[in-house]
Amino acid sequence: MSPRVGAWLAFLALTLVIGLTAAILVFARGLTLTNLTNGVPWGLWITIDLSAIALGAGAFTLSAVVYLFGLKRLQPIVRLAVFVGFIGYTTALLTLVMDIGRPDRFWHPWVYWNIHSVLWEITWCITIYLMILIVEFLPVIAELKFFDRYPRLRHAAHRIHGAAPVLAVVGLLISLLHQSSLGATYGILRSRPIWFKPSMPIMFIISAVAVGPAVTMAAAHVIEWITRKATVPHDILRLIARTSGLGLLLYAYIKFWDLAAVSYYGRTPGSDQALYILRSFTPYGFGFWVGEILIGIVIPVLLFLMPRFNKRPAYLVLGAALAMVGVIFNRWNVTVSGLVVPLDYAPGVGPALVLPQPYFPNLTEWAIVLGVVGYALALLTLGVRFLPLFTRTEEHKP
Amino acid sequence: MSGQKSGKKPRQKLKLELTRRDFLTLAATAAGSAVAAQALTTGPLSPFSALKQSQLTGEDVGGHALGRRQWGMVINLDTCIGCEYCQRACSATNDVAPDVPWNIVEEQQSVSGRSYFFTRPCLHCQHAPCVEVCPVQATYVRDDGVVVMDYDRCIGCRYCMVACPYDARRFNWGERDDSNAFVPTWGIPEVERRPRGVVEKCTFCIHRIDSGLAVGLVPGVDPEATPACVNICPVGARTFGDLQDPDSAVSRLIENQATLRLREELGTRSSVYYIPPKEGL
Repeated sequence: MSPRVGAWLAFLALTLVIGLTAAILVFARGLTLTNLTNGVPWGLWITIDLSAIALGAGAFTLSAVVYLFGLKRLQPIVRLAVFVGFIGYTTALLTLVMDIGRPDRFWHPWVYWNIHSVLWEITWCITIYLMILIVEFLPVIAELKFFDRYPRLRHAAHRIHGAAPVLAVVGLLISLLHQSSLGATYGILRSRPIWFKPSMPIMFIISAVAVGPAVTMAAAHVIEWITRKATVPHDILRLIARTSGLGLLLYAYIKFWDLAAVSYYGRTPGSDQALYILRSFTPYGFGFWVGEILIGIVIPVLLFLMPRFNKRPAYLVLGAALAMVGVIFNRWNVTVSGLVVPLDYAPGVGPALVLPQPYFPNLTEWAIVLGVVGYALALLTLGVRFLPLFTRTEEHKP
Repeated sequence: MSGQKSGKKPRQKLKLELTRRDFLTLAATAAGSAVAAQALTTGPLSPFSALKQSQLTGEDVGGHALGRRQWGMVINLDTCIGCEYCQRACSATNDVAPDVPWNIVEEQQSVSGRSYFFTRPCLHCQHAPCVEVCPVQATYVRDDGVVVMDYDRCIGCRYCMVACPYDARRFNWGERDDSNAFVPTWGIPEVERRPRGVVEKCTFCIHRIDSGLAVGLVPGVDPEATPACVNICPVGARTFGDLQDPDSAVSRLIENQATLRLREELGTRSSVYYIPPKEGL
């Protein structure tokens, strides 16, 4: 084992140990260990949930493009996309289990239904979609040396591949639904003036579809740099980057009209007051204009769309990383900003100046995040080392 | 496909080829769409029928107080003196942590600069945003209009707290080990402490309502069947009773006084009415 690999594994082990320690503490003593309060009951972990699911969106997008829309050219990246999607969704579920007050009751949404709840629908969609991802990925796992001893299992797993188009259709529908419902989680709440708008689900789905594939693209490049083996043809990766750039432009367009229609022309006393509080007391303006717009949209669009940049992998990876940061900024801004503005429900209280409810994640919360990021990177490392993510010999029999 | 690149396609006459099968498919699709559209907009299956009817008649349709009763409260902000007795009696009776009360009492300024006290239990909305969003139906509106929690079902996702427009819900962040300072001076706990990891809220003291009704008492009239906050109030600022009964004390107050409900524009249809202070809000 080279010293570099050793150092990397040691780093991963460290993050996992820190994360596990924090997780055990939280399971033992409860969420009182976090900085969350009754006023701001959702925080960093929800941000990570939403971001991980959005960044895993490359799986359904690229599967649909290849198996549904017939762009067979992109076939070589589907395996990696599905794997990255699997990592993203399991990361989200891990964080979610940490975040709920009763992890022992994680199964309740499957038994006790409330069909009116978007969160119930999201839980169902994510579960079903995770199963789809696993089925889509079975053929790859079946190629492990371990399955040399079980040719029947391997054969069965490969037969599932024939179902890829069906899985792509179901996966596409379910993903479109839950990726946007995550935005609706906030968008349907009438009592929160800066959340309640129909653009919420649309902005969530467009940002996910734009950035998800770019994350897969960047993963392919980085894996190529580290393993020094060809992964996915560069023209495919460049095509994905350019499409992501166009997707980000669409996202910017919707965001512009959202800003104009909801925050400017359609402003209400409630939303005005909320934005005033946010701008006066929190770095909301910085997070929005620098984090979401400049880092998350403008720079990635330039890097993805200008030929002088998008011919060089380093710029594409940089662009994808910045777009990722932008998505995380956005999910944080949406979640925390909506909550730190106190609810105004009492009668007769004019738009009196109210202080925002403070929230900043504490060490326990960061430790859990470090742990789940470590989990994601460890899974990616294992996959790159042991799974045939990039075989070109795959024959596609319908 | 590749053979047609020459651009010299033989000119074809546009011909309508409609097989019997195509025709039947199209006809069935059209008929099916028409039936579905009709069923979804007007029929009994329509998710919008209740909404449509309420828009036409201006009446609330499809509320949750399906039974003969709907428990409600009238809070007179004009008489409230801000003594916080309601908060203490509630905390003792329901064993609520004193620093995270279900009932809040806040001093506020009216437009004319006079101060008044605003108090708030859970408002027990008939169209409750918290009930709508709960992924496991751990919170629901009972037939008598009371919004309650099922502590055995709650998974602690806290979406209801995020959705509640009135900040009426509290989460048990850790296991409680405090001794309640309001016990026994302000009352004796009548319900269990809630476990760690679930959301809790004001229940209108349903344990009193239910056991009182079982022995023929009238909630709002007999103290044993009435919420603790109503009984303790030294100035009678809180009145409790059945909103469906036109002769109940709450119904008469609502009929004879100018009342308001908090954020009515949200359509929550809460069961708590406020009488504003005389000098205005």
